[in-house]
Amino acid sequence: MVAASFRVTQDDQGRRHVQLFGQWSLRAPSNDFAKLKKSLEPFFSDASTTWNLNDIEQLDAAGASVLLSGWGNKLNANIAFTPEQAKLFNTLIGLTRPPSKKIQRDWLSPLSALGKGVLHLAHHFTEFIHLLILLLIEIAYLIRRPQDFPWREFSANVYKSGVNALPVTALLGFMIGVVMGYLMSKQLHTFGADIYIVNILGLSIIRELGPVLMAVLVAGRSGSAMTAQIGVMRVTDEIDALTTMGISRILRVVLPKVLGLTFVAPLLVLWTSSWTLTGGAFASNLELGISFRFFFDYLPLVVQPVNFTLSLIKGLMFGFVVALVACHFGLRIKPNTESLSNSTTSSVVTAISGVILVNAWFAILTRGIGV
Amino acid sequence: MSEGPIQNTLRENIPDQDVICDIQNVCTEFGDNIVHHNLNLKVKRGDILALVGRSGCGKTTLLRHIIGLTKPQSGKVLLFGENMHAMERVAQRRLMNRFGVLFQQGALFSALSVFENIAFPLRELKQFDESVIYQLVMHKLALVELEPRNADLLPAEISGGMVKRVGLARALALEPELLVLDEPTAGLDPDRSHNFIDLVKQLKKSLGLTVLFVTHDMDTLASLAERVAVLEEKHIIADCSLQELARIDHPFVINFFQSIRSRLERL
Repeated sequence: MVAASFRVTQDDQGRRHVQLFGQWSLRAPSNDFAKLKKSLEPFFSDASTTWNLNDIEQLDAAGASVLLSGWGNKLNANIAFTPEQAKLFNTLIGLTRPPSKKIQRDWLSPLSALGKGVLHLAHHFTEFIHLLILLLIEIAYLIRRPQDFPWREFSANVYKSGVNALPVTALLGFMIGVVMGYLMSKQLHTFGADIYIVNILGLSIIRELGPVLMAVLVAGRSGSAMTAQIGVMRVTDEIDALTTMGISRILRVVLPKVLGLTFVAPLLVLWTSSWTLTGGAFASNLELGISFRFFFDYLPLVVQPVNFTLSLIKGLMFGFVVALVACHFGLRIKPNTESLSNSTTSSVVTAISGVILVNAWFAILTRGIGV
Repeated sequence: MSEGPIQNTLRENIPDQDVICDIQNVCTEFGDNIVHHNLNLKVKRGDILALVGRSGCGKTTLLRHIIGLTKPQSGKVLLFGENMHAMERVAQRRLMNRFGVLFQQGALFSALSVFENIAFPLRELKQFDESVIYQLVMHKLALVELEPRNADLLPAEISGGMVKRVGLARALALEPELLVLDEPTAGLDPDRSHNFIDLVKQLKKSLGLTVLFVTHDMDTLASLAERVAVLEEKHIIADCSLQELARIDHPFVINFFQSIRSRLERL
């Protein structure tokens, strides 16, 4: 294949003739139209230049379009071409032109963006409430017909979001416990208040850190997975297939996820808190010489047992919030990759924010209990 | 053995520069399942070749070998005389720009509009400015008989037939020499699939393409294919024109020819 090339000659009146050769086509792999256009630039801008295209071996739409854009998208008498090329040029000229973009500055656009944002948020909120009510209706239905409970899906969700999360929650909990224990023992030691490490670690981990840490991990791990799964089920019409079989999508898809996570989350809180406390005890053992035996004997004396109940209740609420938010966003995914990624992100961010919000609200409600 | 007469239908003597794709002694296995065993096939410039065979006999796998998505366990696939897996990156990319692929589901980028989908390969070349890209995209849209007003739609908003057309326009964006179609008419109603076949035929003529396609649809096969390669028992057992299939004595081919004969007569 012969790459595209050109030759310039000048006649005695100073007019220039450009003759084009070779393959003016994308098929010749060594062509670089950007370079060709650049080197032809001086001749494009000179209106007296004559062009001869008769020796071109092959001209395709790309080559023709590059030449046309140089000529200002019209042909003139200075250009010699074959009838075949003329057809191609005329086809290209006949195509619709790009719409001229008018950039108008709209001073009210921040206001309208705010309005749209608020409406969008309100829409999300009503949809969320809608989903919640549908879920309650399904639960009411299940109370009347307990034999319809989706046990298999429930158990699968308990396994996936509970059992499979054990290693990662244990590891992270332990490490955070070690770090907290280490930092606090340094501080307490300077006041000679070594013994209070048990109070501080015990209360903060059991009451606050354990449940929140569990919720953040589960939102990132299981919440995103739930959103993506429901989203892909929507994209591949699986949800519609379920509906046509007379099976409620809420009952079979949403409910097992929500109940499964709500069921397993308190257990995960227990697990995560235990490992975080173990990490804290480990650090205080190293730093302050407090023995494990003493740490765990002393713990129930300084932390009221009601804190433990509160942490289990928090686990229930957080599991419910994470799973419901994940399902809400999953059911809103549109069949394209962009929507899938946006919804998964929103799901995790909203779930974590929601958990922290619920946590704050719960802290206010229970401010007089257990401390 | 029936190898003798069947082998005669395989073409051995084509001048090298006319062979666009040359598959030599390809073997593929998935675990214990041998899909291709010493498979040979040549695609000549200007052919419209259909690859047919039973479901699950390895047609799509062979197609994926040809377009370089997978590599056979042994044997070679030469495209335009070159082995894609033994090239450096830039050359490989240039080679890949010489063929266009239309996937079964269209494989449009779902986050990009129709316009951006077709513009994508053109932008990747980094040789054209916006006005040229716009003109070329509109040209490709016109080629596949789509309206310019469809350009801003997203793939999720257009019908299956349009998805195929946009996929075809994208495959044609870089003026390929070889067009590879995987089940080009799957999921289209008879009317649309008929139109689509006419479109491919007409593009083949006007752009000087070589077309290689896989199909299960007898109507598509009878009206589009000029040659047909039959993949059976891990080999290509026939590579000839549709009419010549009648002369091949193999149970699958006999059966197969029965079902397309009536369609050929109608044409």
